[in-house]
Amino acid sequence: MSSRLVQIRRAGTGLPVPGPSVDPTADEGYQSVIDRNVNFSAVFADATGRNPDLVLEIPEWHTPPADLEERVWRALYEVSDPEFPISLVDLGLVYGVEVAEPDSTGGAKVTVAITLTATACPCVEFIKWDVRDRLLQEAGVSEVDVRITWDPPWTNDRISDRGREALRRAGVSI
Amino acid sequence: MSATEAAGFRTADDVPEDLRVDLAGLLLSLADNKRLLGMRYAEWLLGAPTLEAGIACSAMAQDEWGHSRILYAMLKDFGKDPGQLEHEREAEQYLSIELLDGPPAEWSGLVALNFLLDTALSVQIESLKESRFEPLHYKVRKILEEERFHFEHGRGWLARLAQTPAGLKSLGGALTPVWQSCLQWFGAPDGGLIARLSEAGISDAGPDELRARWLSRVGPMVTEAGLGLAESDDGSAWRSIIDPDWSKWDSARRRSGDGAVNAETLAAVRGDKNRAMLMD
Repeated sequence: MSSRLVQIRRAGTGLPVPGPSVDPTADEGYQSVIDRNVNFSAVFADATGRNPDLVLEIPEWHTPPADLEERVWRALYEVSDPEFPISLVDLGLVYGVEVAEPDSTGGAKVTVAITLTATACPCVEFIKWDVRDRLLQEAGVSEVDVRITWDPPWTNDRISDRGREALRRAGVSI
Repeated sequence: MSATEAAGFRTADDVPEDLRVDLAGLLLSLADNKRLLGMRYAEWLLGAPTLEAGIACSAMAQDEWGHSRILYAMLKDFGKDPGQLEHEREAEQYLSIELLDGPPAEWSGLVALNFLLDTALSVQIESLKESRFEPLHYKVRKILEEERFHFEHGRGWLARLAQTPAGLKSLGGALTPVWQSCLQWFGAPDGGLIARLSEAGISDAGPDELRARWLSRVGPMVTEAGLGLAESDDGSAWRSIIDPDWSKWDSARRRSGDGAVNAETLAAVRGDKNRAMLMD
């Protein structure tokens, strides 16, 4: 696996800023004894009527996406952290996206490098499932590879303004 | 070292064979010690002197297991199966320090593991920050970040226990054997695994330098607590007052004596009871 330079789009701005290269040693993460039984993004999308403060807020996009990479980033805004209604992008967990050249059927493999807030995050499998599920709904995505990276370590200054607001609504002070 | 010799290793395949064996040994010993230390933390979840300490033990246990899994996963590149390493080995195959063979009898014993042993593991991991084995660069910072809290927890409890005569007495008994074993764990001064890895640029320090770094980190607080284990002339360079007993040192397993982790702990770390629930 070679090191790939990718762009990180800062949450909320939609603008690309230079990001770190995807960690070439990023792996699939450790195994979990928990099988998947809950789609957390769906749980939060469904919270309307019960507790509006727990609805995952998705940005409104005013321009069409430029390309598949941008569609992938927008889709990732719809994937929630398993514990709070904040998207993985707003939480600052997505370190990179790479879209490969499409194959003969027109489908492209998408690699997403994510980090986790803690090395022993018990939700790693849930997050990977949710990312994969959502991205496979995008036209032109044939395969999704979610990689776990630890460098640079996540800190809470990676949380976007929208993410901070979402956490406050959910009762988390940061 | 010539320029070619100093070139970084991007994968295990880039590492010369004899060095590869040593490097795999280092990663496994760190992983195994963290796995077992995590178990020792977890055992105090319900028995710690305060509710907060029990919760801290839960968090530290989780961190240790997270770190050990990162390290087991790294060994895949060396032809090992992380699942086998985590769930299928016998006690004698663990490269764990003798201090973790059985649970500490008292809270002061857990504080000794927290403050002295966990710090020794971190000192060793810190020596890999600029390692010639490049995959380590991407793992070490996050691990050390989480370990800062373990150090603070150990330091806080050391000071707290030292405030009463009974606490100080209990600490003295608990810290001395852990102190000696930790000094030894970095390896004999004349050769051995860590010395070879240091010469090859995998680690940025050999056994004596690692011991000195560990002493400078734990020496001041242990001395302030009133325990006569370390001394310093200038407050920066610290010496141990007591020496380890090298007669039973096994450099291959990085432990003293030919024992192994006890059966109950082994079953727990391997997940024997819940084997049916393991996923591929």
